[in-house]
Amino acid sequence: MVLPLVVLAVALCLALAGWAAWFALRDRAVVLRQLFAAGAVEAVLVVQAVVAGVLQAGGHAVDGPLFWGYLLTAALLLPLAAVWAFAERTRWSSVVLLVAALTVAFLQWRLWIIWTEGA
Amino acid sequence: MSTSTPAATGKGFGRLLVTVYGVLAFAAVGRSAYQVLTKLEHAPVAYLLSLLAALVYVVATVALALGSRPRWRRTAWCAVAVEAAGVLSVGVLSTTHPEYFGEATVWSSFGQGYGYVPLVLPFVGLWWLWHTRPRSDDPASAPARPTEAR
Repeated sequence: MVLPLVVLAVALCLALAGWAAWFALRDRAVVLRQLFAAGAVEAVLVVQAVVAGVLQAGGHAVDGPLFWGYLLTAALLLPLAAVWAFAERTRWSSVVLLVAALTVAFLQWRLWIIWTEGA
Repeated sequence: MSTSTPAATGKGFGRLLVTVYGVLAFAAVGRSAYQVLTKLEHAPVAYLLSLLAALVYVVATVALALGSRPRWRRTAWCAVAVEAAGVLSVGVLSTTHPEYFGEATVWSSFGQGYGYVPLVLPFVGLWWLWHTRPRSDDPASAPARPTEAR
C-alpha cells in the first residue's frame, strides 16, 4: 500500500458519503451516477491491491491473512451495498450508500495501520 | 399475492438495518474465523463464542432481509433476541468475571470492540420487528378473503 492511494481512496469515499448524505436529506434515492462514483472508489481499491501485492512480493512484511481479509472486505462492500441500495427507491437507499462509503473509508484507515505495523 | 408485502423487514428503514447487520456480520465472521484458525488454543472460549455470535449475526442479516415471510420473521425474532441476551449477559460476565473468557469477544464489555454497535443493534432490530409486525386490522396484511372480494 502507498499513502497517496489511501488518501485518494478515503477522499473519494468521503465525497461519495457527502453526496449520499445530501440525497438522504433531500429525500432522494440513489442515482446511477453515484454508482459510477462507487465504481471509481472500487478502481482505486483494485490498484491499491495490485500495488500491495507487488510490494509484499518485493519483501514488505505484513500479517497476510489479516491484511488481505480486510482488503477483500473493503472491495466487496461497495458493490454489495450498491446492489442492495439500488433495489430501494426511497431515501433509505442513500443512507445505505452513506454507511457503506464511510465503512470503506474506515477500512482503508485500518488497512493502512495493519500495513505499516508489519508482520 | 406476495408481490406486495407490507410487513417486509428488509424495506425502507429495514434496508439500512440489514446493511448495518451485514457489515457487523462480515466483520465478526472475518475476525472470529481468523482467531479460530490461527490461535484457537490461546483463548478457545472467547474465540468460539465470538464465532457463534458472528453466525447469529449472519442468520439475523439473512432473516431480516427476507422477513416478509412468516418463517423468516420468526427466525429473525429468535436471532435478534439471542443477540440481545448474549450482549447483555456476556457484557456483565466479562466485567465481573473476565477470567472466564481470556480474550475479548464480540459481546465483551457490551460490544466495546465494535463501537457498541452489538449493544444497540439487537434492540433496534427488536423494535423494527415489532414495528413491522403483521396486524389483523390491516387489510393489506390480512389473509385474502375471497368471499368479500368484489
